[in-house]
Amino acid sequence: MSRSLNDASGRRVRPGRLGWFDSHARLLYGLFGIVGFLVFWEFGSRAGIVSEYFFSRPTAIIEAGIVEVQIPRFWVDVQASLTEFIAGYGLAIVLAIPLGLLAGWYRRVQYALDPWLNFLNSLPRIALLPVIVIAVGLGLASKILVAFLGAFFAIIIPTIQGVRTVDRRYLDVATSFGASRRRVFLTVVAPSTVPFIVTGLRLGIARALIGVVTGELYAATVGLGVMIKFASDALQTDRLLFGVLLFTLTGLVGVEGIRRLEKYFQRWRPIKAGANP
Amino acid sequence: MTGTRTALQARGVRFGYVDPTSSEVLLAIERIDLEIPEGQFVSLVGPSGCGKSTFLKIVNGLLSNHEGEIELLAPKAKGSAHAMVFQDAALFPWYSVLSNVSYGLMCQGMSKKEAQARAMPLIKMVGLAGFESKYPYQLSGGMQQRANLARALTVDPEILLMDEPFAALDAQTRELMQAELLRIWAQARKTVLFITHQIDEAIYLSDRVLVMSARPGRILADIPVDLPRPRELHIKRTPEFVALADRIWELIATQLHAHGQPGA
Amino acid sequence: MTLGSLARPANRSPLGLLGWRPSERLVFGLIGFVVVLGAWEAASQLKLVKKVVLSSPSLIWDAAITDISSGVIFPHIAVSGTEYVLGLGLALLVGVLLGLSIGLFRRLNYLLDPWLSALYATPTVALVPLIIIIFGIGLEAKVVVVFIESIFVITVSVMAGVRAADAVYHDVAQSFRASGWMRFRTVTLPASTPYLLTGVRLGTGRGIVGVVVAEFLTSNSGIGFYIGLNGSLLQTARVYFGIILLGILGLVLGELVRVVERRFERWRPQIN
Repeated sequence: MSRSLNDASGRRVRPGRLGWFDSHARLLYGLFGIVGFLVFWEFGSRAGIVSEYFFSRPTAIIEAGIVEVQIPRFWVDVQASLTEFIAGYGLAIVLAIPLGLLAGWYRRVQYALDPWLNFLNSLPRIALLPVIVIAVGLGLASKILVAFLGAFFAIIIPTIQGVRTVDRRYLDVATSFGASRRRVFLTVVAPSTVPFIVTGLRLGIARALIGVVTGELYAATVGLGVMIKFASDALQTDRLLFGVLLFTLTGLVGVEGIRRLEKYFQRWRPIKAGANP
Repeated sequence: MTGTRTALQARGVRFGYVDPTSSEVLLAIERIDLEIPEGQFVSLVGPSGCGKSTFLKIVNGLLSNHEGEIELLAPKAKGSAHAMVFQDAALFPWYSVLSNVSYGLMCQGMSKKEAQARAMPLIKMVGLAGFESKYPYQLSGGMQQRANLARALTVDPEILLMDEPFAALDAQTRELMQAELLRIWAQARKTVLFITHQIDEAIYLSDRVLVMSARPGRILADIPVDLPRPRELHIKRTPEFVALADRIWELIATQLHAHGQPGA
Repeated sequence: MTLGSLARPANRSPLGLLGWRPSERLVFGLIGFVVVLGAWEAASQLKLVKKVVLSSPSLIWDAAITDISSGVIFPHIAVSGTEYVLGLGLALLVGVLLGLSIGLFRRLNYLLDPWLSALYATPTVALVPLIIIIFGIGLEAKVVVVFIESIFVITVSVMAGVRAADAVYHDVAQSFRASGWMRFRTVTLPASTPYLLTGVRLGTGRGIVGVVVAEFLTSNSGIGFYIGLNGSLLQTARVYFGIILLGILGLVLGELVRVVERRFERWRPQIN
């Protein structure tokens, strides 16, 4: 906990004498940040300080949401976007993790893949959208593919890196006990790569979502991105922001899911000092 | 308890490697010849970088491509020829104490259940009863080294190779662990090759202390330790002990001066 | 190594430029590169894949030569470049200041933390339609998109960097009665520089995505527009040429940041 006792400005915070306010400071400030901003937005908009035409206001967004969820078409959009996200992200996981482990494990495979991985990774793969649309059309498949391409590289690169940075000492231990290559892989390489894979999974969520949104904004007939686009064409910023909010929620749920997964897989790690729940 | 068989024989072991950054050839070990009778506790001391850990890795088979011969006793039916007690414990952080200690047996293809059943008495023997399900980060440095020792003992090795296992411990824990090691050694009856750079540790534990030269390593002296066993920690303050320590320190100090290193 | 192999350096190439290890990396890297390229070309020539989907290396080469020699591509590069430089520059300026402030002031961090977490989870490209409503379809909108896409990673990295300074170094500085500014300059700043540069590197990538998405959705020039237009004209080779241009931009910028990183990392031991 040493870090939290010494904040970044170097000021010592005395432990033991923390009042209720101090110990809940993070929560209180956070709440204040949220509520304060929302109140400013709402009343600023009503008072004309914030342009309602451009930014709408919180209550209007909620109202738009309430109207929206009663329309059957909305649920078709939700289903389409979720399908694209889950399929693209899932496919990326299923392919990137084994391939990454393989490429990291066999040095020469990695050398052979390196130039392409580097190049494709530094490429905005979103730019492949036009070609993907040509190849598989305007349906769900094109969005699945874009989401997949986004997440795949986000996952495979840390995975390879994880295998390549396995602690030499642990490999020595396994070798000295005569562990087979298979056992070395299962008992040393795989567990020590888990933190890297989790990092990739977390990045992958964001990338897959970006793929889904862009794909739907660019070329689709159904999905939340299409809803956002229609709302923007009709200058309904409340409906538009409701759509954005849904993507944010999806992202938050995904990140939280990964955090739980991480917690489960990392029971063997000490709880980080100063980390907040 | 020195037996008649030879547990380890090294003849003309020589080892060098190419430094990857300067691509110069570095000779790590000039020549090592030694013979350890079964049941003996032998320490190898020397200045840092003298190749003592390298030699241990060669015996353990972690390094090949050496010149010369290494002969070890053939392992028993369900045993192992050698086992290493690693520096810094090197327990797998993702496994519990029990899984770590039974690792060697699992590597030999034993079922998890049987391996863990065989690991239990050793966990008790090293004094870790009740900590089986803890993860390494939940143990103190001394306890991690106990688990490290138990892990090596489970495979019933003919020779136990110990690579500065107490180097990272604080002074008090270190002394306690030395006494513990002697207690466990008296029970387990293993041949031990122990690497350390601490002279008093080497004398206290060993039947024989081999002093190595600075790099490239070779053996300068083979000093028998005739102190009676069992040894208590206060033996370190007896004149015999101090005289031995002084003699070994002389040998090492000459090495350091000869190589222009400031006193270690 | 056996003693036989100890003599090896003498047999090496007299220039000593290529050790064995890098050359193995190079050899397998080249093999991988050439094999994929060859397979792509062959598959296209043998009509195993549709040319309109995967094109082929030779077709892409032809398209590149045509559009470079006719000069068609240059205005697009100029437009995208302007959007990118302005947006990223602005993001750097604001992102670094914001990151430093949040990192330094605990309460500001608490205040903004929920918003940062929410933004982290938002695919900010979803805001592009709103940005178009607000800023129109001109240069400003694209600059804002690049800005929004790249500022977040920069801010978060800088913030993490400020906190990465080990408390013990702060204690050292404090024990010498270093002033607040002195502590910032001698402890916080050096410790956070690597994080800042990581943020910049991530930001350059995000910025390119921003340019492309913004130009896809509303534009009449720029590389994103060039890619989108040629996509709808089924000129696949040109689409790939545009993408490769962006890829090269990404590689060059990434390498540039890495050069700066190495300059600032001299004090760090090399990990081998």
